[in-house]
Amino acid sequence: MELKICHMYPDVLNLYGDGGNIRCLTRRLQWRGIGAEVTRMPIGSPASLSGYDLVFIGGGQDFEQQVLLEDLHRGKDREIRAAVEDGLPFLTICGGYQMLGSYYETYDGQRCDFIGALDLYTVGSKVRMIGNYSFRCGEESGGSVVVGFENHSGKTWLGSGVQPLGKVLSGYGNNGEDGSEGARYKNVFGTYSHGPLLPKNPAFCDHILLTALERKYGTAELAPLDDTAERAAHDEVLARLG
Amino acid sequence: MTFRAVLAILLCKALRLFSRLVHRGGTAMPGRYALRVCPDLLAILARDVRSVAITGTNGKTTSSRMIEEAFAEQGLSYFANRSGANLISGITTEFVMNCTPGGRMKKEYAVIECDEAAARTVFGQLKPRVIVVTNLFRDQLDRYGEVTHTLENIRVAVQGAPGALLCLNADCSLTSSLAEDLPNRCVFFGIDKGAVPSREKPELSDATHCIRCKTEYEYDYISYGHLGGFRCPHCGYARHEADYAVTDVVEQRADGSSLVMDIRGTKQLVEVNLPALYNVYNAAGALAAAVEMGVDLPVAISALGRFQCGFGRMEKFDLGGGARIMLVKNPAGCNQVLEFLQNIKEKFILVVCLNDRPADGTDVSWIWDADFEALAGMTGRLEQVIVSGDRAGDMRVRIKYAGISDAFIQEERDYEALVDKLEKTDKPIFIMPTYTAMLDLRQVVIRHCGGAEFWE
Repeated sequence: MELKICHMYPDVLNLYGDGGNIRCLTRRLQWRGIGAEVTRMPIGSPASLSGYDLVFIGGGQDFEQQVLLEDLHRGKDREIRAAVEDGLPFLTICGGYQMLGSYYETYDGQRCDFIGALDLYTVGSKVRMIGNYSFRCGEESGGSVVVGFENHSGKTWLGSGVQPLGKVLSGYGNNGEDGSEGARYKNVFGTYSHGPLLPKNPAFCDHILLTALERKYGTAELAPLDDTAERAAHDEVLARLG
Repeated sequence: MTFRAVLAILLCKALRLFSRLVHRGGTAMPGRYALRVCPDLLAILARDVRSVAITGTNGKTTSSRMIEEAFAEQGLSYFANRSGANLISGITTEFVMNCTPGGRMKKEYAVIECDEAAARTVFGQLKPRVIVVTNLFRDQLDRYGEVTHTLENIRVAVQGAPGALLCLNADCSLTSSLAEDLPNRCVFFGIDKGAVPSREKPELSDATHCIRCKTEYEYDYISYGHLGGFRCPHCGYARHEADYAVTDVVEQRADGSSLVMDIRGTKQLVEVNLPALYNVYNAAGALAAAVEMGVDLPVAISALGRFQCGFGRMEKFDLGGGARIMLVKNPAGCNQVLEFLQNIKEKFILVVCLNDRPADGTDVSWIWDADFEALAGMTGRLEQVIVSGDRAGDMRVRIKYAGISDAFIQEERDYEALVDKLEKTDKPIFIMPTYTAMLDLRQVVIRHCGGAEFWE
């Protein structure tokens, strides 16, 4: 068995230790004797997502956003929309998560069109939602409790076409108001959690890997790993959040 | 001198005395209250002092200490905010501690390290003669935001000191862009092509796209991170030629480096009494600043060969088989320390202490941007890896995913127990703490084997 992982925009969407998620995905496959091949897809590379089993998109700076949008609108937007509908698993974080939505409206009313793969939009606010936080994933996302770090001023609102990824236990989540965190649609997992997300949340990481393996091979099983260190780091943050 | 200013000075001096009586540093608090009484106190006191200010994300403290050593060897009468109190409050305290109760300054020169976010409030009052900007790397995103915001902060800060000479890192596309749209006179320092073997383009760079037109940079060479011979193929923005140029890094040792520099057309041999490539940049910047402040070139060069940094920057302690505390706070600095470790020949003990208090940055995700994978290539020389600090759990996971077996990683959160353990070894010890972990651990180390308190 093998998963082909596409790391989209590692050159500009790499702000919060996002590489850690890629390392975690590949290590946890390799430790189980499953192959992992990561392909970097920086700005300017061809748009095709065919042949990949999992796509990762991280968060980035405002500075490169314009460059990024120009590149997306050169065909990657269409390709992503089609792949999402086709059930390709995506893990998208912070800026990468917002980007899959319909648009971002800045605090002073300027609207920036995103790619519209998910029924959600984001509105800039004056407060920065920042800090360690936790949420419980819905059953369809494995049901585990996830700890992470959020740092965003955009408030994301979900349309009727998508489900939240989970319910906020402590912190802000999508908007600090409705208790929702992230988004789930087909095999897309979107979240504000960096930190990075996966190393401290091995159950959630395995759920994503299993989603990708089952899609590719029909059925799949993941042998258990010794997650003592991961669980200790996870529980420590959770205990601190109280 | 106004009545308010005198009142503020007396208050500041009294608060400082009180702090020391109760065995506290009192580096920032007295100045904070003094500024409440007299908001422009720093401007009043700084008027009669020739200051050099040092800012940037990495290397501020080391560069400041190098400049200080040059001032001392030149015999200048100077003071410095040595304790790392680098916000306006701490800087004001330092000025007050060096003036008479009537507000007359006792020293002619000042070496002032300034936090890059605080520069906006400091430079307008301080009016430095020379401002050094060491570099700009991503740093504590939860506190400072994006690196371009930090650049903007510094740009606005410099506008408050139009008479200052800017001393800029030529190899940092972010830093040197300050020369583009500020009226200040500028000099540049840097490492020229061929001085060190060029790197591959790093997987993670903090400045991939042109600061002016957002086109991707091309590079003639890379010294590390985003530092090197950059060039924008679209708008033509490119590396400035360095006035203080390192043309050859002849040797990099575990205790220092030997360089050849080209300084305004003359070749000079320069010894730097501190290892690692990032300190080559610090040395070049400090040399430029010292000379531009009036230190004679041979004196400034000799100072670099002699100076001791201390305060957790490659600081040496007589612990176990010899220990060095090497502060880490962001990916760029951490990578440089990891690279330094690659040159260690014998077996050693590595301690990593990760805290997430406000001064460290509350977001620890940066450890995943640093290249701890380098440790996997050192397994033959790693005697032991110990993780510590408030977020030891995160550090342990990071090192595990870097390819070190979890069974090999020890966790010791209690600094007393940690130092007890380290005392018993005859192997060299390298300690990588974040800022607040360094403050706490350093005190415990000093209690065990001697050294100075942080404000001394």
